[in-house]
Amino acid sequence: MINGRCSACKYLRRKCPLDCIFSPYFPSNDPERFSCVHKIYGSSNVGKMLQQLPVHLRAAAADCLCYEARCRIQDPVYGCVGIISLLYQQIHSAENQLAETKAEIAVLAVNKNFQI
Amino acid sequence: MSATVNPSSSGGSGSSCGGGGGSSSSSGGSGPCGACKFLRRKCVPGCIFAPYFDSEQGAAHFAAVHKVFGASNVSKLLLHIPVHKRLDAVVTVCYEAQARLRDPVYGCVSHIFALQQQVVNLQAELSYLQTHLATLELPSPPAPPPPPATLVTSPPLSIADLPSASSVPATYDLSSLFDPMTQPSWAMQQRQMDPRQFGGSTGSSSATSGGGDLQSLARELLHRNGSPPQGSMSCTGSLSSPSISKRD
Repeated sequence: MINGRCSACKYLRRKCPLDCIFSPYFPSNDPERFSCVHKIYGSSNVGKMLQQLPVHLRAAAADCLCYEARCRIQDPVYGCVGIISLLYQQIHSAENQLAETKAEIAVLAVNKNFQI
Repeated sequence: MSATVNPSSSGGSGSSCGGGGGSSSSSGGSGPCGACKFLRRKCVPGCIFAPYFDSEQGAAHFAAVHKVFGASNVSKLLLHIPVHKRLDAVVTVCYEAQARLRDPVYGCVSHIFALQQQVVNLQAELSYLQTHLATLELPSPPAPPPPPATLVTSPPLSIADLPSASSVPATYDLSSLFDPMTQPSWAMQQRQMDPRQFGGSTGSSSATSGGGDLQSLARELLHRNGSPPQGSMSCTGSLSSPSISKRD
């Protein structure tokens, strides 16, 4: 049934078997999703990774693989690590702002105590 | 230059340094690089992996990269990257591969989720304190607002909430990966978070509990390659985590 192929089997130009490991996670309406993971990991590696997981965890794994693959395509050098670095910067910035705000609050509180 | 990826020697000693540029290449009698050793193939001059996977520990680390990405895919990736950026690419690829092997479901995304959650919590706390500050600055401030109930708890994140690589600024500081103090200890609690609102976390909190090993891996790699790729690497006892600027 050619029209029922998942996007992976369409991309690989093969028949989509009933027990295709990819079909639940790479629907035919999103060809870019499999294209990304194929480009970074290769279909064989993705298939092996999914096969090794319990069925109820495969969807999460496929989503994470897609996310990482997209990050790597957008940023071939740093991939997801660029995101991690960005988040560390945001945490550092927020912590600095928190410290400043707490200091300001402390100063105001002390001033108000003196006024009383 | 050789980049010895050695997670066991987090102290960054130079003992397992691959030496200068000659020892890690295939030329002469120095043997194949770690990648070609693993692949059991002849290491040709100009092997793309040779500068980054030495023959001693490189094979073990290339094994992880090969298992997750595949040698061919990594080779193509590196070929499309300028030479001066390839070390960074290898470090990050190794990091992701190790994270994926430790956590086959979420890989390094669990770390990202944990950090994103920390950002959300900090921003909520900041917002609350700024509101409190504003009330204190008033002449007759009312009672401070109660802490928001969502200060600690927040709705579970989904992959759609994560930032994309296109939103990342141009400057990357890989040293943040190396500092154990910045590894969120509460990230272990965040392992309960279900990225897709699934039930429960995976059995292994590998990406966060293994973060120390991943840090030492990346730290070791960068330490051994503190000099630009064109020069021979000098192994020193001091760790350096250079801030790396991205240039388009």
